[in-house]
Amino acid sequence: MSSIRALLAICSAVVAFGASAQQPQQPNPMDVVPDKMPNDIPYGTPISLAQAQAAISAAVAESNKRGWKLNVAVVDSGAHLVAFARMDGAQLGSIAISEHKARASAKFRRETKAFEAGIQAGNNYLLTLDDVIGSRGGILLMDSGRIVGAIGCSGGTGSQDEVVCRAGADAVKR
Amino acid sequence: MKTRPMLTLEDCKKISAAAETEARNNSWNVCIAILDDGGHLLYLSRMDGATPANARIAIEKGRTAAETRRSTANWQERIKTRPELIRMPGVTPVQGGLPIVVDGACVGAVGISGVQSHEDEQIAAAGIKALD
Repeated sequence: MSSIRALLAICSAVVAFGASAQQPQQPNPMDVVPDKMPNDIPYGTPISLAQAQAAISAAVAESNKRGWKLNVAVVDSGAHLVAFARMDGAQLGSIAISEHKARASAKFRRETKAFEAGIQAGNNYLLTLDDVIGSRGGILLMDSGRIVGAIGCSGGTGSQDEVVCRAGADAVKR
Repeated sequence: MKTRPMLTLEDCKKISAAAETEARNNSWNVCIAILDDGGHLLYLSRMDGATPANARIAIEKGRTAAETRRSTANWQERIKTRPELIRMPGVTPVQGGLPIVVDGACVGAVGISGVQSHEDEQIAAAGIKALD
């Protein structure tokens, strides 16, 4: 019995030594505790249909100008769908994606590009967070420093989606 | 090759605007959903004061009408005598969803939710009429 225990002790010592020898102590960035909350933006009143439609019109106009065919969705500050438009010839898979991008942007108070960048940087834990979408093209709609909703575009590359999305977001009062 | 008519974004805007006008004239706040013949969302407008639930229900009424090529009022009627139909998959048997029929073919549907079911259908009909 005692010999087994001694053997285990030696093994664990070797393992511990091996680990420390291979990996010098590196601080884990996840251990950092910032003083302030990130993305501490207050939620405001839900966006009106008129504003949501203005954002969609601007996005569709930008997309038309470039000859792209996208799906555009606007959600309110509660992340619920307010307005949606599918351009002629836009792909079906992007109906849900455009809403998802808008919803995730509103729910997490940031652009969906942040998730894309985080995942690209290797922060794979982001993929385990509820209702995240790791693709740019979801942007907050703000009014007087408050979140009134979010817009999401999908159908092209992420970069194309984002350009159209930005045009839509810019149509809403900041 | 067989061809078929399809709803365009411009058609959807027309339908939605007419439906919104009908709702506004009656001081109703509703959600208007327009879907293609595959039951996929084409256009949606949730008027101020309409709830998140209205959006979900409008889409489901529209999907039912689009995929089954019959009004949700027809489903509601048929369930009265055949209650087993309530188990039909993907069917929301509540009045307020109308198929859009062009040249005898279903090209999509309109689903409305927000007021009484017969009023929802009245709004859907007013929307579709804008295509004439």
